[in-house]
Amino acid sequence: MSANKRYGMSIDIDKCNGCGACMMACAVENNIPPAPEAANDRRGVTWIRVYKVDNHLAYPERRTAFVPVLCQQCGHDTPCVHVCPQQAVDVDPETGIVGQMPERCLGCRYCMVACPYHARYFNWWDPKWPAGMEKTLNPDVAPRMRGVVEKCNFCHGRWHAAQQKAAAAGQREIDAADYVPACVEACPTGALRFGDLSDSSTEVAQDAQRPESFRLLEKIGTEPKIHYRSRRDWVREIASAPRPEGKDGLRG
Amino acid sequence: MTTTRRNLLKFVGGGAAGALLTPAPWRLITDTALWSENWPGIPRPARGEIRARFTHCTLCPAGCAVRARCVNGQPVSLAGVKPHPISHGALCPWGIAGHHLPYHPARVRQGPVKEALAAVSRAITQRGAGERVAVLDLRPGRTVSWTYRRAMAAIDDGLYLAPRQPAYAIDLTAAKTVVSFGAPLFDGWGTPGNVFAARANFRLVQIEPVETRTAALADVWLPIRPGTETAMAAALAGEITIAEAARETGVEEQAISAVKEAIGNSPAVVLAADPGSPLMSLNAKLRALGRTVVARRESPVPDAWKKAAPSTEMAAVPDKAIRVLLIDESLPGGYVPWQDIQPKLAPNAVVVVFSSSSEGYARHAQYVLPAPVYPEMAEDIGPAIDTVAAVFRIAAPLIAPVVPVVNPGELVARIAGLPQTDPLRDRADAIHKAGRGSLLSYADGKSTSMKEVTADDFWKTLNQGGCWMDDTGKKAAPAGLGKFGRSGTCPTAHDLPLAVVVAEARRGGLESPLMSKLERESNLRMTANRVALSPADARSNGIENGGRCVLETACGRLSVVAMIDAGVPAGVVEVAGGPRMADLCGANQRARVVRA
Repeated sequence: MSANKRYGMSIDIDKCNGCGACMMACAVENNIPPAPEAANDRRGVTWIRVYKVDNHLAYPERRTAFVPVLCQQCGHDTPCVHVCPQQAVDVDPETGIVGQMPERCLGCRYCMVACPYHARYFNWWDPKWPAGMEKTLNPDVAPRMRGVVEKCNFCHGRWHAAQQKAAAAGQREIDAADYVPACVEACPTGALRFGDLSDSSTEVAQDAQRPESFRLLEKIGTEPKIHYRSRRDWVREIASAPRPEGKDGLRG
Repeated sequence: MTTTRRNLLKFVGGGAAGALLTPAPWRLITDTALWSENWPGIPRPARGEIRARFTHCTLCPAGCAVRARCVNGQPVSLAGVKPHPISHGALCPWGIAGHHLPYHPARVRQGPVKEALAAVSRAITQRGAGERVAVLDLRPGRTVSWTYRRAMAAIDDGLYLAPRQPAYAIDLTAAKTVVSFGAPLFDGWGTPGNVFAARANFRLVQIEPVETRTAALADVWLPIRPGTETAMAAALAGEITIAEAARETGVEEQAISAVKEAIGNSPAVVLAADPGSPLMSLNAKLRALGRTVVARRESPVPDAWKKAAPSTEMAAVPDKAIRVLLIDESLPGGYVPWQDIQPKLAPNAVVVVFSSSSEGYARHAQYVLPAPVYPEMAEDIGPAIDTVAAVFRIAAPLIAPVVPVVNPGELVARIAGLPQTDPLRDRADAIHKAGRGSLLSYADGKSTSMKEVTADDFWKTLNQGGCWMDDTGKKAAPAGLGKFGRSGTCPTAHDLPLAVVVAEARRGGLESPLMSKLERESNLRMTANRVALSPADARSNGIENGGRCVLETACGRLSVVAMIDAGVPAGVVEVAGGPRMADLCGANQRARVVRA
């Protein structure tokens, strides 16, 4: 039996240029539909969302940074798991990935309230694609119905595909190169890295140990598996705020 | 034991109560939602054979190599090709969702082809003396550009019009300091993968009025007063003192000195937002020519093509001289503002545009003919500004056109009476005949010298995922950068008090409906109908955050939503680019924002 993994991600904020390639790749991979006209930043569905944050100073001292926020894959007392009355959220002991089962979800949204990172999204509308565009859907991921909550699952479909590939080759362990979430694969700047945090030889585990590394809301003890890093003090201070300010700023 | 009715009822009641203590009924409740996942309204992704196909993205001149994951031949996701020596496996958000474009609900799906052809033929035969037939090519440097040039050479008084193209390439790998005057280095300039691969080796000084995505990641951002870039360049060139430049630009003397010192001590390159800007000639002063700014050969073309019309800029055309204007807007490219085109048109001019979008020139043309979109048509992509060697790569179509389309190159060739051949194959044969360079195959990552490749294999590899790259050879200095000289600075006191700064480069043409994720659903990118103002300017005009207002320029008005942002300097209005904004602002980028 292979040892359990603890998949996580490291995000170098000093490299992120806020291009949004990760958001697009995520939407394409996970069959997230385009928003209806009535959708806005509060009702849209973006499993990974890049927030534009700043140091709260006026021009010309204003400096901005881009912070990609996705499900933080809490490793301890995962809040969404505790509150779900339907057992629609679970933590896979084999991978450490917090999974969401839309088939079980009744849409009560307790998990959205419980999530300190605002990384869960509710389907306010039926999933609809422009005529013909449904041909471009990823066959490995089922579209979700209206009325359920969804969130990042580290592209679980890719993990299954990697497992199948390993099994077909008669191997127990998947090749790390075979399992990379879509956002990490798409990031043109190399700001996102993914891997097994429990393996100290991986880049992501080493990133997590760097002095400039931090996690969002570390003090609440949820042990997120997304490790950010920045050499800028004001960026690191944002980690203790309940939510990056960009969205609630004047431009929101 | 006698079974009584009471016992039976007790047994049923007890069984029912006991069942509630088992998981079964709760499981049933949980799974009641299962049926709704199979509602007919929820599309089911098609299943079938999955395989990878390769092509190139045509959405911008970078032409990044693309690996498409196809199910039954239908692309379902696009990713970069990691071993590619130029694009390094990177794609921008537009490129990642490029396979959605054929299904865009706003796509131009039909057009009056016969009527347009009849009107063009009539206008060509009836045109008066001095009236010209012209093709405006927004993406010069392609093989179809040669078709247009040949067609215009075959027609009397034919004109091939194109936005000014840089006659040089930038070698970022050779630069230790990059001084960028508003060039969006990290947001659409050159080839994204190439820029980020070289990033660790150069220091970036970004000089521009607002903190764009590039400025946010620059090593140094110098917030300069809008319109004073030439003063800064003059100081760096030593033509004015640093104190003078500091007064004019609003940048501290110390910061200017530091940049001047850096570019004097290391291989440097100066970039401008407009590659044709006179600021680029500052590179000659920095001795960058032949080192970081280099000449690039063009890919070989058949000898028969060399009798082609030269490229002309719109400004060089006399007023009212164009009787027939054919605009190829099938690929997003350098948009020429309509107010620069309109004076050149004869009063009875016929304007035909090949486009998939109704946003650009379709708003002005008499005839809009539906053009193919990426990835429907075989097309080649010229080298990007940061590609040092000549390249030839084909965007092989991944799907057949989903609506009836007109191939702009074929139609223009037909109008001019050129023989109907396959220009891409002809050019591939010419490149093969030249025998120089190498061929990179994406499927196996192998690079093969052209001397070892047959013409048929070359063509096959180009169509199945491959790229020809010229030998880099010895670096040479480019010609035509001109001489650096100070031009007039932007006037500040007139009735349009705000300088327009394009902070969000937007491509023309269609974009995936999923771009709503980056716009409405996250406010990560500015939409075309939004502007950002400083709190002071907003206050003085009575504008509220999120309020509807009107952006007025010398060329017109546009209803927009205002955002108030303390990161925008006073006297500046920040806008997103795009055809509408280009038409509105033109060359004189001054504006006023008033409450609606």
